[in-house]
Amino acid sequence: MARRLIFGVAVLLGAASARGAGAPIPHGTLELIAEKQEVAAGHTLDVGLRFQLEKGWHVYWTNPGDSGEPPRVEWHLPAGLSAGAIEWPAPSRLESGSIVDYGYEDALLLIVPIRAKPSLAAQPAAQLGAEVRVLVCSHEMCIPSKVALSLALPIQSQPPRPDARTADLFAATRKALPRPAPPNWKFSVADGNESFVLTAALPAKLAHSITQAIFFPLAESQIENASPQKLQTSAAGFQLTLRKSDRLLKPIERLRGVLVLTSSPLDNRGYFIDVPVSKPGAERPLVQ
Amino acid sequence: MKRSTRWARFLLAMPLHPMFIALVLCAALSQISAAKVGATAPDFTGTASNGKTFRLSEYRGKYVVLEWHNNGCPYVRKQYNSGNMQRLQKQWTGQGVVWFTILSSAPGKQGYVTAGEENDYLAKMRASPTAAMLDPTGEIGHLYDAKTSPHMFVINPQGVVIYDGAIDDKPTTELSDVPGATNYVSLALEQAMAGKQVAIAATRPYGCSVKYSDSMH
Repeated sequence: MARRLIFGVAVLLGAASARGAGAPIPHGTLELIAEKQEVAAGHTLDVGLRFQLEKGWHVYWTNPGDSGEPPRVEWHLPAGLSAGAIEWPAPSRLESGSIVDYGYEDALLLIVPIRAKPSLAAQPAAQLGAEVRVLVCSHEMCIPSKVALSLALPIQSQPPRPDARTADLFAATRKALPRPAPPNWKFSVADGNESFVLTAALPAKLAHSITQAIFFPLAESQIENASPQKLQTSAAGFQLTLRKSDRLLKPIERLRGVLVLTSSPLDNRGYFIDVPVSKPGAERPLVQ
Repeated sequence: MKRSTRWARFLLAMPLHPMFIALVLCAALSQISAAKVGATAPDFTGTASNGKTFRLSEYRGKYVVLEWHNNGCPYVRKQYNSGNMQRLQKQWTGQGVVWFTILSSAPGKQGYVTAGEENDYLAKMRASPTAAMLDPTGEIGHLYDAKTSPHMFVINPQGVVIYDGAIDDKPTTELSDVPGATNYVSLALEQAMAGKQVAIAATRPYGCSVKYSDSMH
C-alpha cells in the first residue's frame, strides 16, 4: 500500500515537471518549454524561455542599451546534453527621455538549442534545469530576480514528436528571428568625426519601399543609443547616421548588429549585419 | 528715419533674428552631454544636503569623483549593502580626493530625497562623501549625460575627465560579485596618482536609468 502511494506521488511530481511549470518573476511569469515531446539522441532540440510580462514592464536584449541587464541562464543538464547560445529576437527601442534601452515588452520566447550526443542512452525522464537571473524594469524601477526552472523529457533514439501546445509559438518566433542580410545587399560604414554613416545599396524595388530603418549594435558603447538615427532614403537604398558614443575612445574595425527595416512588403524584419568600418573620406556615395 | 534710429531698431530686433537664436541654441546644446574623457569636466555649482554650496572648479588641484546615486536601485544597493561604496569613499577622501554623490532623481521618482532624508541615509549607511549634491532638476546629470545609477566620473587635478563609466567590471546586482570585481574608479585614481596613463578610461556604466524629470510616466 505504501509503495503504491509513493509511486503515485512520484508520478504526479513527474507529470508536473514534464509540463515545465512556469515560475513567477516580478510582474510576470517565466516558463521553460520544449518544441518536441522527447529528446532524440544525436539531434538538437529547441527549448525556450517563455516570458510573459505585465503592461509597463520589460526585460533586456543582449546589449541592453543605456541601462539594464539581459537575462542570464545557467544550465544544469544531464550528461550528454549541452546548451547552445540564446537566439535573440530583434529588440525594440525603449525610450525614457535621454536614456534609451534595447529590450522586450509583453511576451518573449528566447529559443536555446539543446544538443544530444548520439551515444546517449534512452531514459524515461531526463531533468533539464535552468537557473535564470532576470532583471524586470518599468520606467520607475528595476527588480532583479533569480528563478530555477526544470523540464523533464524522455531521451530516446527515435525521432521526437512535436508538442502541439508549443509548436506554433516556436514556429512563429523562429520565423521572426533576425536573419543574415541577403548577399546582394551591399553595406559600408564610414567613420566620421561625430557619427558613423551606414550606407546600404539595395535592389531598386526594396529601396523604394523602405520607410524606417533602426540599427541595434551588438557591442556596447559604440553608438549613442539615445540619439535619433537619421535616415536618408534614395532610389539606390539608404544612409543611416549613427552618433558615436561619448565613451568610444578608439576606432572600431567593424560594426555588427541587427538592422530592423520597415517596408511595405517586409513589414518589420531584422537583419544581422557585420560591416567593416572605412576610414573617413572613404565613404562610398549612393549610386543614383 | 535717422541712421542711429535704424541701428537701434536693428540691435533691439537682433535677439529675434533666426541666426541669433540658432547661435544661442548651438551654444546651449553643446553644453548638453559635454562630459568626455580627455576634455575639461563641465563646471557646475550645486547645493549639498548639508546646506553648503559647492562649485566643481573650486577643486582644481584635487582629484574629484562624481557618483550618481539612487538609493532604491538594486545596483546601488549592491554597492552600499556590501559596504563597498562607503569603503571607497573613506579610502579616497582620506587621500585628499573630493567625492561628490549626486542625486538627479526628479521629485516623485525613485531615488529622490530631501536634504534631511539624504543626511539620514548618509548617517545610517556610514557613507562619507565630501558632499551629497541635490540635483532634482537633473541639470548636473544632463550636463554629464549621466545614464545610470551608479555612473562614475573621475576628474584629475587639472580638471580633465580621466574616467567615465561603470564602477566595476561586474554588471550585476549580486552582492557576491563585489569582492572579486575590478574597481575602475580605484584603478583610475591609482594609475593617475602614479603618473601613469589610465588604462581603462571609459566603460559602459551599468545600473538603473537615472530618473530624470523628462523620463516617461
